[in-house]
Amino acid sequence: MTAFEPRIVGFLCNWCSYAGADLAGTSRLDIPASFTPIRIMCSSRLDPVIILTAFLRGADGVLVAGCHPGDCHYEKGNYYARRRFALVKKVVESLGLEPNRLQLSWISASEGKKFADVINKFDERIRALGPNPLKKVTL
Amino acid sequence: MVIGAGIAGIEASLLLSKAGRKVYLVEKCSFVGGTVVKFENVFPNMECATCMLAPRQQDLLQDRNIELLTLAQVAQVGTSPEGFTVQICKRARYVDILACIGCGTCYEPCPVSAPNEFEMGLSQSKAISIPCVGALPNVPVIDKERCVRFAGKDCRACKDACALDAINLDQKDEMLELRVGAIIVATGFDTWNVGQIPRYGYGRHSDIYDALEFERLFASNGPTEGRIVLRSGRTPRSAALVHCVGREEKGYCSAVCCLYLLKFSHYLKSKISDVKINEFYTDFCIPGKSHQRFFERMVKGDINLIRASRLEVDDCDNGLVVRYDTGGGKRNECVVDMVILAPPMQPRRDTPQLAKILGISLDDKGFFVKGVASSVSSSRSGIYVVGCAQGPKSIEESVAEAQAAVADILSSSRSGGL
Amino acid sequence: MTKRIGVFICECGTNISDKIDINKVIEEVASLEDVVVAESAKLLCSPEGRISLEKRIKQEALTHLVVAACSPRDHQQTFMSVCKRAGMNPYLLQLVNIREQCAWITEDSARATEKAIRMIRTAISRVRYHVRLEKREIVVNSDVLVVGGGIAGIEISLMLACPDRTVYLVEKSTILGGMARRFERVFPGMDKYSEVLETKIGRVLEHQNIRVLTASDLEQIIGFYGNFEARVRCKIEGEVTRNLNVGAVVLTIGSQPSDPSGIEKYGYGEIDNVLTALEFEEMNRSGQIALCNGSLPTSVAIVHCVGREEKGYCSEVCCMYALKFARYLRERVPYAKVSLLYSEMCIPGKTYQRFCEETLGDNVKLVRSSNVRVWEKDEGKAVSYLDEGGAEQTLIVDMVILAPAIEPTSDARRIAEIAGIPLSIDGFFAEQHEKLGPVATSKEGVFIAGCAQGPKSISDTLVQADAAAGLILSSLVPGRRMEVEAETSQILESFCQGCRSCISVCSYGAITFDERMKVARVNEVICRGCGNCAASCPSGAASIRHSTCDQIYQEITEATR
Repeated sequence: MTAFEPRIVGFLCNWCSYAGADLAGTSRLDIPASFTPIRIMCSSRLDPVIILTAFLRGADGVLVAGCHPGDCHYEKGNYYARRRFALVKKVVESLGLEPNRLQLSWISASEGKKFADVINKFDERIRALGPNPLKKVTL
Repeated sequence: MVIGAGIAGIEASLLLSKAGRKVYLVEKCSFVGGTVVKFENVFPNMECATCMLAPRQQDLLQDRNIELLTLAQVAQVGTSPEGFTVQICKRARYVDILACIGCGTCYEPCPVSAPNEFEMGLSQSKAISIPCVGALPNVPVIDKERCVRFAGKDCRACKDACALDAINLDQKDEMLELRVGAIIVATGFDTWNVGQIPRYGYGRHSDIYDALEFERLFASNGPTEGRIVLRSGRTPRSAALVHCVGREEKGYCSAVCCLYLLKFSHYLKSKISDVKINEFYTDFCIPGKSHQRFFERMVKGDINLIRASRLEVDDCDNGLVVRYDTGGGKRNECVVDMVILAPPMQPRRDTPQLAKILGISLDDKGFFVKGVASSVSSSRSGIYVVGCAQGPKSIEESVAEAQAAVADILSSSRSGGL
Repeated sequence: MTKRIGVFICECGTNISDKIDINKVIEEVASLEDVVVAESAKLLCSPEGRISLEKRIKQEALTHLVVAACSPRDHQQTFMSVCKRAGMNPYLLQLVNIREQCAWITEDSARATEKAIRMIRTAISRVRYHVRLEKREIVVNSDVLVVGGGIAGIEISLMLACPDRTVYLVEKSTILGGMARRFERVFPGMDKYSEVLETKIGRVLEHQNIRVLTASDLEQIIGFYGNFEARVRCKIEGEVTRNLNVGAVVLTIGSQPSDPSGIEKYGYGEIDNVLTALEFEEMNRSGQIALCNGSLPTSVAIVHCVGREEKGYCSEVCCMYALKFARYLRERVPYAKVSLLYSEMCIPGKTYQRFCEETLGDNVKLVRSSNVRVWEKDEGKAVSYLDEGGAEQTLIVDMVILAPAIEPTSDARRIAEIAGIPLSIDGFFAEQHEKLGPVATSKEGVFIAGCAQGPKSISDTLVQADAAAGLILSSLVPGRRMEVEAETSQILESFCQGCRSCISVCSYGAITFDERMKVARVNEVICRGCGNCAASCPSGAASIRHSTCDQIYQEITEATR
């Protein structure tokens, strides 16, 4: 039996969280290889359908990261992201997924360490939860 | 030419470039961002300073019209038909800026360790280093004063560690001659060393910080990664924030201290939720439409605002004791774990030199004089002074002045004049 | 079109090659569909690296490019330029960050290699869905409309007007000069301001490229940056309406002092010889400072912070003009005793403290006070207050001058609505960004300056007026075309249901509703490409160029494989 290697997808906003992720790299912090970043301009780009698609295509965990409230490069984008996130959480639950598989974090460009902490903790949690139950369902 | 790559200098450069002008941005240090890049957050909305500046820094580094000259200073200025001929002394970085990819492998083997100036001495750095993680451009510099090779020893540790052969220990300082139509001085400010006023105890006691030191202490990319741990090793349970340090001696109000000390109280409470804060002020100076609301948000909860005079700080068994007068000449005291002092903003130490080179006047406080020709002119036509180089002010005022200087340049050159 | 994808993996010196087994990566990706080239390079961002990459693109007639190297935040522009020089549309490129986000975050080489392969596969899948995009250019109108003929409006008009650029200066009253007309002198230099102002007004009126429209109101603005149409109605002249075509609009409508008669405790309007600051300015300008009965005042109290609590902000200039008033009194009524009843002395900057120190003296005193009340006594006006120690004190004076809070003008709301910009919570125009955008607004092409943005001194007003001019001069250049961002939103008319969700979420007002066709339309000049509209659209009509759902789904598919 092969050990469970999670596939975690992270949607990082270009201006804050992606920069924070880069900083984590520049600082040579340890980040699990299970995490694949997807760069978007703003966390408000995320249609709930995109997040659900990630789970339906087998993501074991989905992380959404944006600028801290008040810092959004596009004024209010992250507020909308937060609202949509709350909605998606409910839908994820109704699909039979543990809601903890989806997380929203605010990470600024100077928070390399926070980024590393968030990813590491999230990875731990996903490993504990096990593989995405939807993967067994043939779509 | 823009002298100083702080927030005002960056703004002016980007705007001039947008207009199609070639800009030489001359920066004395090895990094861009000036003083604002040292802050974790800015008042009043407490947004992240790095996030705020990062897009502009990126734009700056990738802008084709802007030639950034770091480790460079103006040595001489003469006139020319188009404006000015400027001699720039560009110090050697000893690292090839094009070849270096910012991997940092060269730092570890360096045998020299000395107080990191950017981190206000709160941590050490090597003789070859970048000021802090995330500093731009992401290329280190060798500090000649500290490097043992320049003291005669045959050390090549950094050069040997570099896989790209980006380190050139024989690089020489360069002299450049540039012709420009106008000059914007955006050199910013220094803080006065308040150790000069013995009653505040700065420099005598380890847990007394000045404002910039505390900014770095709190910074998430700083020497303690943002953990508030004092030099003595303790986590403070109480703090005294002192306004107007050196104000009497200098004879002016530094405009932003009341506001940033409120920011500091928020910093403290965000990491140490039950911290007791005593804030000692003379007048609360919070002009502007949003600053009073900021004040009200910040003072909610456990902050003791004390109007005080004749303040002194001293050592005591349990920490630091602050003695002060309140109304009616009553003398009081309180004991705290840490003291943060708000020093006066003063002109950069090399301002008199620069003024002489540029041929512009200083006022009796040592700041560049504001001329009468326009809102940001200096005493000499074609040279503008913006930001804190002209006098203490907030970020938004500095940015507006930078934009105003650009207006002056773009509008006068169209009419054919300087 | 057959796709020919080239994959180039940068060794980044040794930074990437140290951790990642590049040969293994090449092996894995070379066999993928459409990949015709998969090779490594020592240092792609170097001059040689870039030239060689350009050559390879041309040699292999590549249609798409994947570069696996450092962060796109470092070198996106660099590699887009290489594409352009090689004749490839720069948007057919995808950069993969296998340095900061792969090689540098783990010591485990096997893991790093596996992750790099995954990330590159992600990029290859995604780049197949990239399309050519062009940065468009539009012709702009470089004329400017300035609303408000006070000192800010005058300053910016003089800064902007030139033979290639007409400035329309609209003023609702019949004269120019605004509030500053009423001041005899201004702090801190105490220069006689009327001469300065008259000279500037003279220059404006004589200027060939400034069209002054007094007694005129702004009625409507439509359009966008580079292309606005403004309707202005002249209240006299038989109610003529003008339509002005301009590229930018600057709102410099100033502010007004609030009315203290609503605050009973100051007795304004009830008790005689209680004046507002403006009334005192005008009295001083007339040349004679006197009480109602004609005699000279022997003692004066100036009350700071009138209405500050009600408004919730400090009006910035009152402490300084109160000191100025003390100087007026010193000059005209030298024996009068002046008391400044203040709460916090607000004198920031390098010159104001000295101004304060040189104003105080035997006859001019600062009195720190709170809970100030003005009432009538036989002997004169009684001004009661709590002193620093909290004890109640009373001063008897002949004249009381109130420094009222500065508030937005009565038409600030109307003008903001017309211009399509928000107001801040206190009713002044909201700036785009408190620190970095003090004179811009969230609506591109509409600028603000002076007290319309918030109370401030004359010198700060002039700086802001010049700052707005700087922003306009650098982008609205006569004859030059404005480049428009390519990665913007697009709305497919055929899918749009007309629900207007996109319009409600756009922070920039870049989307408008076409009433006739019942669809939403994006103005690509204003759109900043954040994606909020695409995320809110229930019918999939709105999408973002270069960040389409298909592109993102491709990335997801590979990332979860």
